[in-house]
Amino acid sequence: MTRDAGMAHLDTYLDQVRRYLKPLPKSEIDEVVAELRSHVLDKVAGQPTPNQVEAAIEALGSPREVARFNLTERVSAEVEEDRSPLTVLRGIVRLAGLSLYGAFAGLVSFTGYGIAASFLIAAAVKPFARGRAGLWRLPDGTDSFSLTLGVTDHPPGHQGQELLGWWLIPIGIAVGLGLGWLTWRFGLFSVRLMRRSARRGRA
Amino acid sequence: MNSKPPDDRRDEARRKIVGRAQELGKWETEVRKGGLGLAVLAILWPGRLYGLEILRRLDSDAGMSIPEGTIYPLLSRMKAEGLVDSEWVESDAGHPRKYYRLTDPGRERVREMAQSWRAFAQGLERLLAPIDGESQ
Repeated sequence: MTRDAGMAHLDTYLDQVRRYLKPLPKSEIDEVVAELRSHVLDKVAGQPTPNQVEAAIEALGSPREVARFNLTERVSAEVEEDRSPLTVLRGIVRLAGLSLYGAFAGLVSFTGYGIAASFLIAAAVKPFARGRAGLWRLPDGTDSFSLTLGVTDHPPGHQGQELLGWWLIPIGIAVGLGLGWLTWRFGLFSVRLMRRSARRGRA
Repeated sequence: MNSKPPDDRRDEARRKIVGRAQELGKWETEVRKGGLGLAVLAILWPGRLYGLEILRRLDSDAGMSIPEGTIYPLLSRMKAEGLVDSEWVESDAGHPRKYYRLTDPGRERVREMAQSWRAFAQGLERLLAPIDGESQ
């Protein structure tokens, strides 16, 4: 009876680890979980009472921590091997669910790449759609205004003022590439930071 | 000159001592962490072991007690780097265990790491010699 309860406790723990590891391929999740199970069973040495199991689990770390060790180590290995923006972004997405910083890094990365892409697209389209691509200053009220960047079928026309003209092309390329580079560097930095902090977390 | 009440001064002194002990502890952790990779590879030198055995050897032989959950990501990284290999083996305990062993490149690497660690330690030892002489 207590043996069953102990094993049920272990299964619940491993299910939670599994959930946090979701960004990994299934075969790898199975491997990690099988090894943790084997570890706990060795630790309790054939006596899987709930208390024994709990003590073994506690020494391993919470499901989130265990997943963090695994994911950060794995993602940073991938990123060190191939530092292309796409790999870095994929790594950031995988780590986003594990910590507040991860979520923040994900948000910054998507915003950064999104704005960078908008500038590049606007610059690329400008030669073919002179009146429809641009950076417009739109009056919101008497004292305030907003900026709209991009390509549109309905240019703001007389209410708005297009700011850059043909300058959109060099400025769009420069800003787009610059911002993309910064976002990429930020991603690399974040992956390394998260790995360091995962290792330090319980050292 | 010193207008603080004695209690405050005692507290301050105690805080300083605790602070220094924490600094020393942090430094020690860093030093040990630097040697962790080498220690794990060295433990595998004589033959294959599973994760918990590696953890126990780290603790008993090197006084390195690391968070248990960190050993597996470390081993899996070493595997990805081609330094170790692993296989599942059925055990008498009634469940399979994942054993790790050094690969040939892993053996080569641990030999090189040991050499460079020894060179570093011997150099440091020379620098430390006068300190030992004075404190005795």
